[in-house]
Parts: sequence; C-alpha cells; structure tokens
Amino acid sequence: MRTILVIDDERPTLQMFELYLGAYGYKTLTAASGEEGLAVFDAQTPPIVLTDIKMPGIDGLQVLEAIKARRPETEVIVITGHGDTDLALAALGLRATDFIDKPIRRETLEAALGRANGRLDMAEAAGSGGDVAAACEETVGVIHIRGSLCGESEPYLTKAFRELDDAVGVLFDFTPNASINGAGLDVLASVAETCRASGRPAAVYGLAENFVRILDRLGITDKAPRFTDRGEALAYLAKTTS
Amino acid sequence: MLFLPQRVSLKLKMFGGTMAVVLLVSAVIAILARWILVTSLNRELEQRGVAIGQSIAERASGFILDKDRPNLVSLVFDAAQLGERKVLVSYIFISDNDGRILANTFIRPFPADLRGINPLPENKDYSIDLVDFDQSQAIDIAVPVREGIYTLGAVHVGLSKSHIDSLVGKLRTTFLGFITAVTVVMFLIVLRLSNAVARPLSRLTQAADAISRGSLDAPEAMLGLSDDAIKHCQAYADTDLPCWHFDQNRGEGEPTSQAASRTCRECRFYRKEGGGDEVAQLAESFSNMIWSIRLYRRRLRESEEKYRSLFDSNPDPVFVVEAATGRILDANSQAEAVYGYGRKELVGRDLAELEPDADGGVAAYLADRDAPERVLFPKLRHVRKDGEPLYVNVHACRIAYRARDAVIVSATDITELVEKDAQLIQASKMKTLGEMSAGIAHELNQPLNAIKMGSDYLKMVAETGGLPSPDALAAVTGQVSEQVDRAAAIIGHLRDFGRKSEPKLEYVDINEPIKGVFTIIGHELALQGIEVVLRLAASAPIKAHANRLEQVFFNLVVNARDAMTDKACQSERPRRLTIVSASAAGRVTVAVADTGCGIPEAARRKIFEPFFTTKQTGQGMGLGLAITYGIVKDYGGEIEMESAPDRGSVFRLTFPAARDKSERSP
Repeated sequence: MRTILVIDDERPTLQMFELYLGAYGYKTLTAASGEEGLAVFDAQTPPIVLTDIKMPGIDGLQVLEAIKARRPETEVIVITGHGDTDLALAALGLRATDFIDKPIRRETLEAALGRANGRLDMAEAAGSGGDVAAACEETVGVIHIRGSLCGESEPYLTKAFRELDDAVGVLFDFTPNASINGAGLDVLASVAETCRASGRPAAVYGLAENFVRILDRLGITDKAPRFTDRGEALAYLAKTTS
Repeated sequence: MLFLPQRVSLKLKMFGGTMAVVLLVSAVIAILARWILVTSLNRELEQRGVAIGQSIAERASGFILDKDRPNLVSLVFDAAQLGERKVLVSYIFISDNDGRILANTFIRPFPADLRGINPLPENKDYSIDLVDFDQSQAIDIAVPVREGIYTLGAVHVGLSKSHIDSLVGKLRTTFLGFITAVTVVMFLIVLRLSNAVARPLSRLTQAADAISRGSLDAPEAMLGLSDDAIKHCQAYADTDLPCWHFDQNRGEGEPTSQAASRTCRECRFYRKEGGGDEVAQLAESFSNMIWSIRLYRRRLRESEEKYRSLFDSNPDPVFVVEAATGRILDANSQAEAVYGYGRKELVGRDLAELEPDADGGVAAYLADRDAPERVLFPKLRHVRKDGEPLYVNVHACRIAYRARDAVIVSATDITELVEKDAQLIQASKMKTLGEMSAGIAHELNQPLNAIKMGSDYLKMVAETGGLPSPDALAAVTGQVSEQVDRAAAIIGHLRDFGRKSEPKLEYVDINEPIKGVFTIIGHELALQGIEVVLRLAASAPIKAHANRLEQVFFNLVVNARDAMTDKACQSERPRRLTIVSASAAGRVTVAVADTGCGIPEAARRKIFEPFFTTKQTGQGMGLGLAITYGIVKDYGGEIEMESAPDRGSVFRLTFPAARDKSERSP
C-alpha cells in the first residue's frame, strides 16, 4: 500500500488519522504543522498528502503549492473547515486532487483516497493525455473524462466537442476517480455555455459529491444538470431535444 | 425677703415693701423729731427763764443793798406779769444769802416747800431744778444777784411745768397727724402704682399663655389691639412685600437696606410717639410680637404647604427616613404608586424591607455618620410590595426632621432604563456571538472531527468482523471522551456568554473572562499569525458580570486583531497581542496592548462614542467600544487608551477591587 502524509495542527485528529488509515493498510506519516509536513515530505516523498488548510504558520494552501512545485504528480487532498467553498476553490485552483470537509466522513475520505489511488494507478499504468474521449450513443454525444480535467485538457475537450457536432445533446461522463481543478472548472463552464448557446442541452454524470457543490456554486449545474444515474441523464438529453 | 415665698404677687411685694419702708421712715422721723423738738423747746424755755432771772437780778441788786423791799416786790411782780410771762412763769422770788425770802410773787403765804430749794453752787451763773410745791410742779431756775465781787442773794424763777407739758403735747399731736397723713397718701400712691404695673403684666401673662395655647385672636382682644392697623398694613396683607422695619432676616442674599425696601409714609403698625410709659410700651411691643408671630405663622404655613405640594407632586418616590432606626417617617404619593404600599403601611416600615440587598445602599449611608451630606446610589435593586424588583437611582440627603436626624431618600425608577440597557448589551452580545461564529465553528469542528474519525474507525473494524487492538481502542475511547469534554466546554462557555446577565453583580476573577475570550478566538488569532502573550497576575476579584466582561475583552481583542491584520497598514512588525492584569492598592487593572497600526490622532477622542467606527462600511457598527465603555463604567471602572502610530494601541482598564469577598462570595 501507498504511504500517506497527514498534516494537521490538531494532535487528536492526527492520532485518529493514524489509526484510521492504518486500518486501511496505509503507511501513515503525520506532521503537526506545515513546516514539519514539508520537511517530512522532502524526506519521505509520499505519493499522497492530506493537509488541513487552516494552520498557524505555513497554511495548507502554501503546503499544497510547495508540494506541487516539488513534485507535481503528488496527489494532495486538502481538508477544509465545514463549508469553506472559497478555500476549496482556491485549493482546486492550486491543482489539489480533491478536498474534504471537516468533520471528515468515512465515505468522503474513502472516495477521495480511492480517486487519488485510481489516478496514481492510472498514471503508473499509462501516460497522460488520453483523459478525454468523445463517443456517440444514439443521438446523444458523450464525452468521457478520465483522470483529471484541468487546463491542459482544453484542446482535447475542444477536439472531442467538434466530433460531436451533430449530436442533439452532450453528456459529460466522469469516471469515478476523475478529478477536476480550477482551470478544468472554467473549461467545463465555457463548454457548457457553448452547448447552451448552440441550443443543445448538456448534462453531467458521475462527478463526486464534493465537486458538485463547486459546480453548483459556479452555476454550471444550471446550464448542465448533474445526474447520478447514467440512464436518466441520457433520457434527459434525448427528451429535451425531441 | 428671705421669708417671702416666690409666689407672692408682684403687686403685694411692691405694695407691702413700699409701705413697710414708709412706716419705718415715719417712725424714725417721729422719734427723732420728738427728741429734737422737746429738748430744744425745754432748753429755749429754760434760757428764757434764765434771761428773766438775770434781768431781775440786775435790777434787784440795788434794791437789796438799799433794803428797799417794796421796790423789790414790785420788781418781781412786774417781771412775772410782763406780757405772756404770766402763763409761763409760775412764780418768782428773791432770797438773800441766808435763804430769807426778800420778795416773792405769791399772793398767799409763801409755800414752805420752796424754802431752800435749788441752792446755787459757787461760781455758777444759774442752776435749774425741778421742784414740787402746792401739788404742782415747776422748773426752778436760780440766778445769783451780784454786786461787784459779792453775791447778794439769788433770784428764783419758777417756770410752769404744766404749761410746758401742754406745749409739748400740742407739738406731738401736730407732728403725729402730719406723719399719718403722709403715710395715708403714700399708701394710696403705692397701691395705685403697684396696680398700674401689675395689672398690665398679668394681662400680658394671660395673653402669652393664650398664644402658647395657639390662639392668636384672644390676646388681641385682651390687649385691645385694633384690627384696623393690620388691615391697612400692606406688608401684612401681602407676605411677599418687604417691610424693612419688620423683616430684617427674610430673603437671604437679598439686599434688605432701607433704601431698597418699600416703606409706608406713616406706619400704621408702629406708633411713632411711643404710646405711654414703659409698661404701655411693653404691651405694645408684645402686641407687635403677636402680629409678627401671626405673620410668620402664616408664612410658615404657606411655606409648608408649598413644600408639601412639592413633596407630593414629585414624580419620583420620596421618603423621609429616620437616621437612627432606618424607619420611614413619611412618604409621598408617588412612593405609594411605585412601591405598591399605602402611605400608612409605608410609615414606620423599615427601609431595609424595600432594599433587600442592602450591602452599600441607603442602609449603609444611614449608619455611616461620616458620609457626605448628599450622595447618589446608582442602580439599586428595590422590591415592590408584590415582590417585583425595580431598579432605582437613589439620592440621599441628610436633614433634620421634627428635631430628629433624618435622611431624605429620593428614588428614581430606572427599571425601564436598566432593562433597555440590558437589552442593548444583550443585542450587542448576540452580535459578538455572530462575529465569533466562524471561530466557534472551527473550534467545535476540531473535536467533532476527531470523534467522528475515532468512531468511524471503530465502526470500520467492527464491519470487518475483527476487534481493534487494545492500544487502538484505548486511544480512540480516550480521545472520544476527551474531545466530547472539549466540545462540551466550548458549548458551555458559549451558553454562559450568551446568557442574559442577572442584574445582581457577582464576584469575578478578571482573568477568567480574559481566558474565556481565547477559548473561542485563540485559534483564529494563531491562524492569523498573531502571537498572544498573557500575563495574568490579578488576584483580587471585582464585582461585575463575567460574561459582560468577556464581551469587553472580546471587543478589545477583536479590535486589536483587526488593527494588526488591517491590509491598509501592513507592516513588518511582529503581530503580538499582550494582555497584562494586575491588582494593587484596591484596584484591578488590565492592559490590552497590540502592535497594530494605532489609532489616528483625530479619531482618539471619538472612539468611545456610539456609532463611531474607523472600519469600512458594513464592517463595524461602531457600538463595540461604546458598549465596552458603558459596561466598564457600570462596574465603577475606568477605561483609557494610548496609541502611537508605530507602536500600536494600549487599552487600560481599571476596576475597583471588591471588598470582603470572604464574607459574601458563595
């Protein structure tokens, strides 16, 4: 199993993380501050880092930035205080893999770790670039998004979009371990807007709950509703157009 | 006077005394006069007898030498019969040296009793002796008849004793009559005089008694005062009109000079001519006095009515409390309305019953003799008859009330004010709570997070059908318990903070609210890179409300935080918040110092004003420091501020330390 570095200024939380992640079989490193966390990161280079954002001294965002600067492929999951979507957005802008709210729910943590592991697995198995693929299912165009939707994904997305010119609607189909960052969100928003402008409905399927909040916030779900069931999504798109 | 009892009337004293003196003087005069008159009369007559004898002896010597008896006889007869001598002179005879009678005036045989009487001593000009003859008495005066150096014989002139006695008797009668007449006249004069003095005096006495009994009309009749004068006196009719003559002490500070005051051309009240003797003047002065008493009684009644109406129409409850016992002597109608007691119930009631927490209220003032004349007790808690509390500002003032030491207690009902105040403070506290909410959420999330993870871990282990290791189990359960306590403490703290303060003050260790602030906001300050230095050395408690004090410190700390994180004046200064508490000399001081950008000079005077804020619109209401100021003042404290643009600001709070905590603290 992979090694995870947990950075949090709360000792009890660190202790629980250690037990918790240990139970999953992860090797856990802990650090009680940003400075300590970076030192541990430099020494051990863990592939996954969990960091609290609000910390005295070097805060979570700075840690995230520093780690991304040193080793961009590191999966960094930030822990935010309840409902800090601004901080979540800022973290996503800094290419965080995911964010989880405090208090940390087991499912959310599992999902985030799952995504991170999936991406790491994927990155190990194949190179990057093939994250976006377009396909047609009956009259609906489907854009598959694997891995991470980020600034670099834009040309692929535009290319995929062109392939679907004659489709009546577009479904953005995210794989379970897919992630999205700030730039990716902008791309998604502009594409959804383009769809809308051209009179074709758009829909989103399969994005993790956490990201949906952000989509809501940015108004993307108004333009492209999000579905938890793929069939429903296709049905929605087909119905709206007919 | 020794034996004269005091109750003998003046009249009797005057009359009796004067009469006794008159009688005594008369008696002495009578005795003296009698002695002088009788003696001199006797002497005069004797001298006359001697003169008669000597004139006879002068002429008789020749006849004796010639032995001319007939001439001698005619000589003595002539001498005896001359003028009025015949009444006075009883007899004359001449004897020779051998005692033979040469001539005499007896027309009967010469009385034998007269032979050899009143012998004439040698070398003496005359000799006087009382002799008896023929059952009558005479004063015999013997004068020698001389011729050259020889004595020829003696002339005896007998003065009639009965004649002399009748003369003396007549004199005595006349004199006694005169003395008696004088005494009678004196008696009448003295009687009249004593009546003239005593009767007005007894009348004045009666009048004075009548005044003492409260009647002012009776003495007027007694003394015969005319009503007329009073009706015409303008000063009497109008008590505000000054009469210089009369009212020399009215209107303190007012000029009472004669010129400034109004005078009547002719005072109808004061008779200028004086009006008689001293007794009459006394009576008049007395009647003036009655007049004056009537005037002042009227003024007094008017004044009493005036002050009574002030007392009764006072919008605040007013009590008159006896200083010695603390009992209410009088209360106005507003006191009945506010406190719910009837006046009869209030009078005689102990003031302490209205003032249940009497540690330093009026009760203490009553007991403290050295207290100032007039004091204000703010925000005292009193109770109504029905047990409802009310809050009053009490003015207490020492007076003398019916010859007793008393205190006037005026209580202004400020219940509504206190309630509004409490509401305002409560509202600002709620606002503060709102401001704290981010910090609170963070503080609460930390323990919840740990608990959640711990329990999730246990659940996960349970799902896999295994058992957690003893170490892990101990760690999880220990943390869960600890974190629940932590969360509960935060919630409890919030509840205490949000609780409405009881109006009654409690004993507060000032370090507690300071620490309380940091349980909520401490983490946030740390996240913003603010170093907090606490040096809490204050040991004395103060009388205050813990949660209001916490609000005070919260406001100050938040302001300090904002001053240090203000983007407008960022600098490279270290962010440090220092709070120092100390107690000394009955004062407890707290200094809250920051290293922020300071307060501009122009704003410093205004920072405690309500709705004054240096923050951007929407950032602050400008009530924080105003409410802070109000709260600090409420506890008798002081707040002052020092600020320098480069060094940040220091807020210094000073409170009086609470006394005798050991006795009263719970």
